[in-house]
Amino acid sequence: MRINGFALALLLAASGCASYSTTEKAKSQIAFGSAVARKGLWREAAFRFEQAIGKEPGNARAHNNLAVALEATGEFARALEEYKKALALDPKDNYIRRNYARFAEFYTSFTRTTGKAASGS
Amino acid sequence: MAPRLARGRLAAAAFAALMLSAPFASGGVSQVRLKLPLKPRLPLRGNEKLLLAPFIIAADAEKARDKRLANVDLQAEFHRFLKKQVDKKTKLEVLEPPADLKLPTQNLTDLSRAAEFWRSVGTTTGAEIIVSGSLEFRVEDRSGYKTEEYISPINGQTYYRQVYVEQTGFLFDIVFLVFDGRSGEKILQDEFKDFRQTGGRRADELQGLFENLFSLENQILNLFVAREREADRYLFTD
Repeated sequence: MRINGFALALLLAASGCASYSTTEKAKSQIAFGSAVARKGLWREAAFRFEQAIGKEPGNARAHNNLAVALEATGEFARALEEYKKALALDPKDNYIRRNYARFAEFYTSFTRTTGKAASGS
Repeated sequence: MAPRLARGRLAAAAFAALMLSAPFASGGVSQVRLKLPLKPRLPLRGNEKLLLAPFIIAADAEKARDKRLANVDLQAEFHRFLKKQVDKKTKLEVLEPPADLKLPTQNLTDLSRAAEFWRSVGTTTGAEIIVSGSLEFRVEDRSGYKTEEYISPINGQTYYRQVYVEQTGFLFDIVFLVFDGRSGEKILQDEFKDFRQTGGRRADELQGLFENLFSLENQILNLFVAREREADRYLFTD
């Protein structure tokens, strides 16, 4: 009984460590990416967030941050995709929902058609 | 022996829970400000000849009686403001309208459909783009009683009291109609509104008008040229 309990604890700890290491790598990329983003280095930030997604594709936070970085660099169509992925992964996160709503408002007005061009122009 | 076993199990379970929960610990969020581009609403080359035609001044009987509005030449002030902004912030060539240019109607819908009229204006002046529409400026007395919290210096208790507050509201509403000077067809219709409130019953109406206009400046210029706007987003920090 005691051996079984110890084995279970060891198993849980091992599985925890395995996922911890992957997540930690993603987290460190997100932390570095967000630090450089706050300094305005959005391309470097986007690269870091892509690395985080590569390590942990199901990380909604990384997708959200990548979407913000893409928005900052003017890649709006890709930003929309990333916001959608982030929201699909974590539909209840209020920060992601707010970001997506604000982006959707901007993107709608940005892509809105503006009537006919003046003739000859 | 039994208590020791229970303690051991508890410790193992706590350790396992700690290891599992660590990767999911929630982290920080920071707010960042982005500068986002706004494409011009009109698909222009950028150096067209633009004619600023008169606007319909929306007025009703009540406003006609308002002496404060009698001091404001809305048509002239708006024309001057728009010309100055377009000259300064775009490469469009602004043409002055002929002195005898009169709108064929005071109805906005009819004005937007008067293609023949706008084509003739375009031919006469050489304008490629013609801007017209309607303007409405309203000064409202917003004075009234408001509930205010009051802490008594005698007994330190909180009371609510009614206080008379004098305020003036300025409402500005512009409908832009933009026409192709060659065909006379309408190429864009857009409306912008702004409301400002200021303390005092006798706030200056011209100052109120320009408060409205400056707050709409970015949106108005965005009809003709690309602009930028600031937007806040949330960034996860771990």
